[in-house]
Amino acid sequence: MGFSLVGAAAIIGVSILMIIEIIVSTGVPTITNVDEAFDEMRNRAVDQVQTDINITGVTSLVNGSGYDINITVENTGSVSLETANFDILINGTINDFSCSKSYIHPQNIVYFNVPSITGLGAQKLKVITNNGISDYYEFNLP
Amino acid sequence: MGFSLTGTHVVFFIASVIIASAVSGVFIAVIDGVMTSFSERGKIIEENLDTNFIIINDPDNIPTSGSFYVFYIKNIGSRKVATTNETFNLFIDGEIVVTENFNFSDTSIKPEEVTNLLIDNSEILAGDHTLRAVGPQDIVDEFIFSI
Repeated sequence: MGFSLVGAAAIIGVSILMIIEIIVSTGVPTITNVDEAFDEMRNRAVDQVQTDINITGVTSLVNGSGYDINITVENTGSVSLETANFDILINGTINDFSCSKSYIHPQNIVYFNVPSITGLGAQKLKVITNNGISDYYEFNLP
Repeated sequence: MGFSLTGTHVVFFIASVIIASAVSGVFIAVIDGVMTSFSERGKIIEENLDTNFIIINDPDNIPTSGSFYVFYIKNIGSRKVATTNETFNLFIDGEIVVTENFNFSDTSIKPEEVTNLLIDNSEILAGDHTLRAVGPQDIVDEFIFSI
């Protein structure tokens, strides 16, 4: 009877150790990864709340049959923004552009150049930041 | 009589070892299954937290390309988003858009990039509409626009 008890206890003891190992080796990385993903999401949300831009002016220069549009954008938020991942829509259509700086820091301005825009009269401009915050502006092409 | 007592002990020992092994095996199998499910669920939650997109069009000016209206989908999450008819479901004013009537210009978009969503113009009449895009991980964006 004594050997039986010891044998059974030893087997159950080993299995408990294996169960603890399974729980720790699977549970800890999962919780860590979810926690990191949550942190990233929270940081993105905080960045979005702290992001704001203002289109302060638009000028146009004749370039052949079209116009080169120069857009002045001010960062009125408190987060630095990467300008390469901005998007510029003119009358609803996305356009290629170049920018004077790689980053626009808070309270700074950058200039976007959109080449060879065709059209006349009122134009509606939308600038979208890398994290989806946008501003609108209306201007005229002579 | 002495032999039978030893035999009884041996039988008890073997029986206890078998029962203990069986109980341990069941416990380990159950815990392993639970932890595997926990890990898979964790990956789904992780993907869900990492995925986000928005429609960035100007609501007054929806561009066209041939017989399609063009909507711009921007990835504002931190994970690549698969953009196919299978990973996205679209609803216009609550009516589902059949998969044959929309497609994407790219099969996936990296964080902060944009792809074109092309919807057949037979799905959208003139007037005000709501486009509901349901993407991977059930991430949803709604966009109100006018044609």
